[in-house]
Amino acid sequence: MYQLQEEVSLLRASLDGDAEAWGEIVSRYKDAVYGLCLGFLRQPADAEDIAQDAFIRAYTNLRRYHLEKRFSTWLFTIASNLCRNRLRYRRYHPVVAPPDQMLGGRDPAIEVAREDRHSQIRSGLDKLPYAYRAPLVLRFYNDLSYKEIAEVLSLPEGTVKTRIHRAKVQLKQVLEKDGVVNHEIG
Amino acid sequence: MRLDDLDGALRETLRQEAVASAYRIDGLEDRVVATISGRSPNPGAIGVLRQLLAPSKGGRVAQLALVGATAACFLFLGTALGPRLRGVHTPESVTALRAALASGNATLFVVPAPDAESVTVLGNFNGWTATPLSDPDDDGIWTATLDLAPGRYEYAYLVDGRWWGQDPLADEYVRSFGEYNSVRYVERKGDDA
Repeated sequence: MYQLQEEVSLLRASLDGDAEAWGEIVSRYKDAVYGLCLGFLRQPADAEDIAQDAFIRAYTNLRRYHLEKRFSTWLFTIASNLCRNRLRYRRYHPVVAPPDQMLGGRDPAIEVAREDRHSQIRSGLDKLPYAYRAPLVLRFYNDLSYKEIAEVLSLPEGTVKTRIHRAKVQLKQVLEKDGVVNHEIG
Repeated sequence: MRLDDLDGALRETLRQEAVASAYRIDGLEDRVVATISGRSPNPGAIGVLRQLLAPSKGGRVAQLALVGATAACFLFLGTALGPRLRGVHTPESVTALRAALASGNATLFVVPAPDAESVTVLGNFNGWTATPLSDPDDDGIWTATLDLAPGRYEYAYLVDGRWWGQDPLADEYVRSFGEYNSVRYVERKGDDA
């Protein structure tokens, strides 16, 4: 069996309506799901919203999950689809303020982080189209294999490899333009 | 610089970004649990069928049609799966086990598995954690007797770590997570088993 027995026990208990067992599942996966949503959406408030929604939807549709798949892959697929829907919604309901202002600009952690090279890379990620950013986040934040990314995004594995490569090329160009690559990374 | 040099920086940035605002998901599990409390996962196709078949005032014809369709499905499944089970359970062993089951008040779990190293039973009666079956006389019949309160119990066996959810002694079968589970109804003590 693919899954750890303990996790399967929690999932089966959840299927029986045990909300606390599902709480334990949320506890185990919330960092991974939130990080995925933040990477995709680039806005903490939206990422928080979608992460919560992903767990609720996964619970509601738990009977559709099959043990042949890794549970994390199934959960990430739900979160990715919700993120894509949110991005579509944003396209037709654009926000007036840029993302940083929406954060309030007062979060000390973000203020400090803004000063270092991470902020330039983050800014590069913001500029990438979703089609490139999504596989990049799944690869470098969630540590998924190309095969798993292909499964989550419903893409052929070859396309995933190509998009990740192109995303990196594009990101490198943005960083070089900003003078980050040579001075900071390179 | 090479493109691969970006990998580490990307990984670090994405992690740092998530950690910087991770306070937002403090207590997320509590919020999710509060939202789903009192709700169950959607019943799925089998569950919907069961609800449709539940007694109601109208729609008798529709119910009978559904019963017919379900019976046809089971007939088909029986024809397809029967030969596969024949190697595991002979009709004689099943009859003997049914007799043993009917003679006692406790709930008996029995698996004939002569070559197995370990057999456990998992179900909603033990939170889907493994309760071991034993074979003290080494005859290949693994048993466990559990004192269960009257109710409906969903369960499956793990035979050397492999899921085995179609117990011939079960009252019915359900599918969850793409696997079969057995269901047994435990009657009140003193009632017929």
